[in-house]
Amino acid sequence: MGLFVLRRLGVMLLTAIALTFVVFYLTNLQPNLEKLARTEGSVRMTDEAVQDWIAQNGHSGSVFLRYGQWLGVVPGWTFTDEKGQMRGRCFEIGQDAAAAPTYCGLLQGNWGFSTFFKTPVMDSLGEKLAATGWLMLAVMLVMVPTSLVLGVLSGMREGSATDRTLSTFSIASTATPEYVSGVVLVAVFATAATGVSPILAQYGLIEPNKTLFLASATSAMDDITFWNFTLPVMTIALYGIGYIARMTRASMTEVMTQQYIRTARLKGVPFRTVVMRHALRNALIAPFTVIMLQFPWLLNGVVIVESLFNYKGFGWTLVQAASNNDIPLLLACSVVAVVVVLLTQLISDIGYVFLNPRIRLA
Amino acid sequence: MKDMIDEAGVHSAAKMYVAEYAEGKLSRREFLTRTTALGVSAAAAYGLIGLPAPAQAQDAKVGGKIRVAMEVRGTKDPRLADWPQIANVYRGWLEYLIQYNNDGTFEGRLLESWEANEDATQYTLKVRQGVTWNNGEPFTADDVVRNFARWTDGNVEGNAMASRFTGLVDEATKTLREGAVVKVDDATVQLNLSASDIAIVANLSDYPSAVVHSSFQDGQDPSSNPIGTGPYIPQEVAVGQRAILVRAPNHTWWGGTAPLDEIEYIDFGTDPAAMVALFSSDEVDANYESVGEFIDILDGMGLVKEELVTASTIVVRMNSSSDLYKDRAVRSAVQLAVDPKVVLELGYNNLGKTGENHHAFPIHPEYPTLPPQVINPAGLVPALEAAGLKDTEFEVISLDDGWEASTTAAVQAQLRDAGMNIKHTVMPGSTFWNDWQKYPFSSTTWNHRPLAVQNMSLAYTSTGSWNETAMANPEFDALMAQALAIADADKRRELMVQMCTILQNEGYIINPFSRSLFSHHKDGFAGMAHHPAFEHHHYKWSVA
Repeated sequence: MGLFVLRRLGVMLLTAIALTFVVFYLTNLQPNLEKLARTEGSVRMTDEAVQDWIAQNGHSGSVFLRYGQWLGVVPGWTFTDEKGQMRGRCFEIGQDAAAAPTYCGLLQGNWGFSTFFKTPVMDSLGEKLAATGWLMLAVMLVMVPTSLVLGVLSGMREGSATDRTLSTFSIASTATPEYVSGVVLVAVFATAATGVSPILAQYGLIEPNKTLFLASATSAMDDITFWNFTLPVMTIALYGIGYIARMTRASMTEVMTQQYIRTARLKGVPFRTVVMRHALRNALIAPFTVIMLQFPWLLNGVVIVESLFNYKGFGWTLVQAASNNDIPLLLACSVVAVVVVLLTQLISDIGYVFLNPRIRLA
Repeated sequence: MKDMIDEAGVHSAAKMYVAEYAEGKLSRREFLTRTTALGVSAAAAYGLIGLPAPAQAQDAKVGGKIRVAMEVRGTKDPRLADWPQIANVYRGWLEYLIQYNNDGTFEGRLLESWEANEDATQYTLKVRQGVTWNNGEPFTADDVVRNFARWTDGNVEGNAMASRFTGLVDEATKTLREGAVVKVDDATVQLNLSASDIAIVANLSDYPSAVVHSSFQDGQDPSSNPIGTGPYIPQEVAVGQRAILVRAPNHTWWGGTAPLDEIEYIDFGTDPAAMVALFSSDEVDANYESVGEFIDILDGMGLVKEELVTASTIVVRMNSSSDLYKDRAVRSAVQLAVDPKVVLELGYNNLGKTGENHHAFPIHPEYPTLPPQVINPAGLVPALEAAGLKDTEFEVISLDDGWEASTTAAVQAQLRDAGMNIKHTVMPGSTFWNDWQKYPFSSTTWNHRPLAVQNMSLAYTSTGSWNETAMANPEFDALMAQALAIADADKRRELMVQMCTILQNEGYIINPFSRSLFSHHKDGFAGMAHHPAFEHHHYKWSVA
């Protein structure tokens, strides 16, 4: 078991190195560097000025050496301008260059300086990950119980009216991507002119010109309320609810056809007890894996939802980093993504063993 | 100019304008632009026509906080700044030598006054006394000289200022020319230009020309070391999220007390629909800009609308290198067949003011009043017949959507009604801008510039780099060369009368309207008038 975990961690490290190099290579393509020069320098720069800027800000030379700088195995770049002022990777403008360390990469614990946010990558990313953490937590709290209940209810009696109704709902919700459901939810619940808000206002349940929910989650960065957080959470959760409910239903119907369930029923055990005691545990093995695999998928969901609702978390950061070609930030984002994906898979593998004694980790 | 000032210290022409204003010949804005261009202070100008000057910082209620929805971009070395939003954050603590006000006037901020010689080759800047940096050091003429050296440094990639002060730059070293900026005494700085330049004042007021302290390092983020002369300091600048300006502690601002205690910029993205939701849920007090149909919606929510008629405009122009438009009679007939009022209504929803087909507007200090043109659609067919173009199919080209397309469509519809066989072709921006100067007949958007001659010299002189009409009128060129050496707007106006008349008579351009800019804020705030360059003058803002 220990060896298995170690091996998995090794794979994680290798994957992270491979992925970050790919990201590094792509962000360091010439057109991307030119874009970076124009956003960082000035959009009015001439083409020659752009080339000078690239050379003078540590983006020229071999891509491997620059990747080495990021890792911290190659000395950081420095540049001395015509006035004798120095700038470089390892110190800020105005700091003493002589006192700065030679190496300053990942190995030295330095994740670099975000060119878009103008802060160290660790500071801005930490804060953004915390914001996304709250969003994911809320999504999980809504999504997991709801989908399991729906799945179990519809899987209990395959083909019943309940099953058909709930299945229709889950198929519909999982067939609707976030960028559609988000817009629909905003139109219905968060618009003062259409949807349910004017009706509620008419009955005096909410103030006139106010909306039932808020279409922007920016204020949730400081203070999460039911009002500002419901729509983003529901938008992500709706898709997952349908998906997990379908998985649970399939696994539940399969368990319900097993011999031991029929035996229990024939012995006269009440249907309720059969479901709760005999069917549920076995039926939940498959959904557990699916739920764990939802975490990496959530990372993808938050990109759309955070942009749509202006919630400044990991997904929004990723969009900003990519559209501004913020190299250190994109690299850090990809490391985070690798860790989240592989860590949740590891947990799901280990958890599987506990749920299903027949499986052993080799 | 001094000899024309009477004992009361008021320019004689200003008195003439007072009479014209009283007779209703001049609008309030026009009156102010003209009198302040004569050297009358804004407050005195308001006084001349019996109006109280707009609430100044000193009179406003002190205290309070405002939340403004605006994109928060990373602050950077001001001379590299490429968005007004960037400047609006560092404007809290960095100030300017000269400020461009939204009534078209220029006001000395860190300069008390300035004067140009006859041919605008030498400027004398009087540095304001009693100004201190927020670290306690006094602001002096040395600071002015040092900032000019920063602005003129052409070796810095992306320095937006270097190309605007060519008269001060040594071409070989691409830095400040020896003797170009001279400190005469502690309160006086002299600029010695190598050629006439009247745009110096306008350029000193533009948003990259913020004045920084001697401890500011080149390329530094100004919010990391916020030493400035202004009334506020940044408490937090989180790119993409928020920027908070608070009163600078232990700092006596030369302008008195800025009314608001705190200004918070919140980044909600740029979706105008979101702005409606934000106002209705009380998340913001003011926005950066209101556009299109959202202006009406925000009006309907009981918000206060700020409107400003600018000089940003659209020009539907003919190019005489095409055989179709080389005849002046044809061009004039086309120009006069289009009624600007109709174009403004159909093309831009009446969100502006009609123009006069000469690319100068009342907000320009040198705007001349010309007799109105007579719109005459009936004259088009005879002119086309005379040129043998009656059956020719004409084509007018524009961008493929937005108000540019609808404006051009409105022009085309009127020309067709007048009997011209003309079609409207649209192109996406990616291809349209490749050849924008060469189309025989097309529409082009032009941004606001503080002086009318800035646009006109670019577009209508035979050597203008953005000449899109192929107009080459020697008389116009000669007048422009003269005008570009006259710093005094009033004297320049005499030439402008002739230049604008030439432009109208040449008939190259249909210049139907200038656009208005809008923003909204909640009732209960004062001093938030919109600015043509989206500048936020925080010290004018207050809680009413």
